[in-house]
Amino acid sequence: MSQSLQFFHFGLMPYPNIPPPEQIESTWVNLSNSNYDPVVGHRLYNEYLDQAVLAEKLGYDGTCVNEHHQNAYGTMPDPNVMASHIVARTSKIRVGIIGNALPLHENPLRVAESVAMLDVISGGRIISGFVRGTGMEYHSMRVNPATSRERFWEAHDLIIKAWTTDGPFDWQGKHFDIPYVNPWPRPFQQPHPPIWLPGQGSFETIKEAAKRRYPFMMVFAPLSFTKVNYDMYRKAAADEGYEPAPEQLAFCVPTYVAETEAKAHEEAREHMMWLFHRGLKIPDYHWVPPGYMSGQSLRGMIMGKRKFGIKDHTDLSYQDLLDDQYIIVGTPQQVAEKLAYYTDELGAGIHVASSAQIGDMPNWKVVKNMTLFAEEVMPLFRPPGNQPAWARGVPVPGTPASLPPTPAPTL
Amino acid sequence: MSTVTRLDAVPEVAAETIDVAGSPVALRRRGPVDSATAGEPLLFLHGAGFTGKWLRFHEALAQGADVIAPEHVGYGETPMQDWLEDIGDLVLHYDDLRRALGLERFHLVGYSLGGWIAAAYATLFPDRLRSLTLITPAGIQVPGKPPFTDLFTMTPEQLFGTIFNDPANIGEVMVDVTDPDVAVHLYEEQSTLARLVWNPRYDRRMPRRLARVSCPALVLGAEDDRLVPNEAVDRYAEFLPDARVQRIPGTGHALVIEQPEQTAQAILDFQRSEQ
Repeated sequence: MSQSLQFFHFGLMPYPNIPPPEQIESTWVNLSNSNYDPVVGHRLYNEYLDQAVLAEKLGYDGTCVNEHHQNAYGTMPDPNVMASHIVARTSKIRVGIIGNALPLHENPLRVAESVAMLDVISGGRIISGFVRGTGMEYHSMRVNPATSRERFWEAHDLIIKAWTTDGPFDWQGKHFDIPYVNPWPRPFQQPHPPIWLPGQGSFETIKEAAKRRYPFMMVFAPLSFTKVNYDMYRKAAADEGYEPAPEQLAFCVPTYVAETEAKAHEEAREHMMWLFHRGLKIPDYHWVPPGYMSGQSLRGMIMGKRKFGIKDHTDLSYQDLLDDQYIIVGTPQQVAEKLAYYTDELGAGIHVASSAQIGDMPNWKVVKNMTLFAEEVMPLFRPPGNQPAWARGVPVPGTPASLPPTPAPTL
Repeated sequence: MSTVTRLDAVPEVAAETIDVAGSPVALRRRGPVDSATAGEPLLFLHGAGFTGKWLRFHEALAQGADVIAPEHVGYGETPMQDWLEDIGDLVLHYDDLRRALGLERFHLVGYSLGGWIAAAYATLFPDRLRSLTLITPAGIQVPGKPPFTDLFTMTPEQLFGTIFNDPANIGEVMVDVTDPDVAVHLYEEQSTLARLVWNPRYDRRMPRRLARVSCPALVLGAEDDRLVPNEAVDRYAEFLPDARVQRIPGTGHALVIEQPEQTAQAILDFQRSEQ
């Protein structure tokens, strides 16, 4: 088996106590926050954060947080607040913010500042993911979906320049006009924290990621679709003249291990179903507000869904989730075999959401799953000694040191 | 005054493409066929849909006017343009179109989204207009109410259910959304709409600016509009210096489809009364 798979703990921090899916229109946008009990929220947040801290003790390579708004699926509207808490309570583990939703920010310099602060405080442990935010976020935050893609790339370019060019400088863009770009602090990692691009598989995003050698991550997708997207990344990389390293291909697949196969299913099933049937109860008009995708991408999505027979999340049975490999559940050996397919056949190198909290999973199951996974599965993908990447001096995926050298230009 | 005849059949009118300051525009044009005069030019600005064909409403209007019906940038067969950022861009674009067609003064009629564009045009170019007609227009704030029911969170069926109070004529604008070509085209038109009205959803400055309009105005309302608040019609009439309000009985927001002849009759009667 590959010895270069990295494991990133990642729980979405859901708020599970919501009405059943048939009683609500959506788990996002307009699910009333009267369903949120802050006393329950207090307990949940602290359990979730303890789990992230536990990830370091158990030797995970990283732990991740992300940004979502006005929903019960993931209650981290400000991922940098969560990252700050985790940074303060850990000392070695890498902390992935996957990511800040750039177009939703009025001023991207706030992201440049917050991520640089976290990078300096943590001594360079931050991975800076950038996302557009889901379609639902555009309803909730009222940012125009029709200009989101161009806003994303302008914010991205501004942040990278702010991190790598001595300020002050003048930025004159279509969406941002800032005469003094000069953020203090500058990031700890040089030239800047590694950038990840978690995606839902638009060809435009994949091409841009491959061009910049950013790790690309597939989220909650069936194996067949992940493979198609990796192939697109590989082709885009070939067009740029290089072969992607395993650390450039990440997959976010909920995973649960237990002592026996039967026990694993018994313990995991209801929580996996919460994620796909409740957390992802989302009408199309919330998912894909107008302009969020190009017409061409929408056509690709409609045809792709028909060609691969991809169902809506809420139509997937537990058996579908297993068969199509949206999720991995089983004994450590069974789980390892599935993961080996990603490393050996697909060439992937980062497993995100390894064994973290899912749906309405109680704390005891999460701790059990994480512990068993760390002790029984992770060693199979590591050199003898079962040390995490940060203890072995393996560079963070996405840093220049982790990537294949650029071929010398032919003159 | 002549009466608009009830139409049992509507001819197909093909769109021609004209160049408007470098941007191609699909446009349909037709005037009175059985009259000695061509009728006065009437520019009709469509709403956020019902594109791609000559409608019974167009034909009804054409019984008394030289109807010019372009499709907005990013709608129907008029391609999207990078320069389109907001309603103001369309206002200038339509003044370019006026020049391209050689119109000096004309009647301007706007429906729904087109009503917003027409009202904004009238505030910037008041001297160009012989008259202004706004049909269930968007674009003005009604304090305490959403400027329009959030059509961006509706299925196509829900949207039609909201804008039609009388579905008898709904077949004229029905499309098959299970056809990917249709679905993509509708999504692209909605994307244009998002670009224009996602945020803000109305023009806060509209009431003050309406004082600049110097031509007579007719504001046509539905009997009960469940998309744009009924009060929007009254708000426009309140701030337009010379405006009257008329409501078409039995209709909802889609009155141009629900009652095409009655709506056209009201417009033509108003325009003639102001000669």
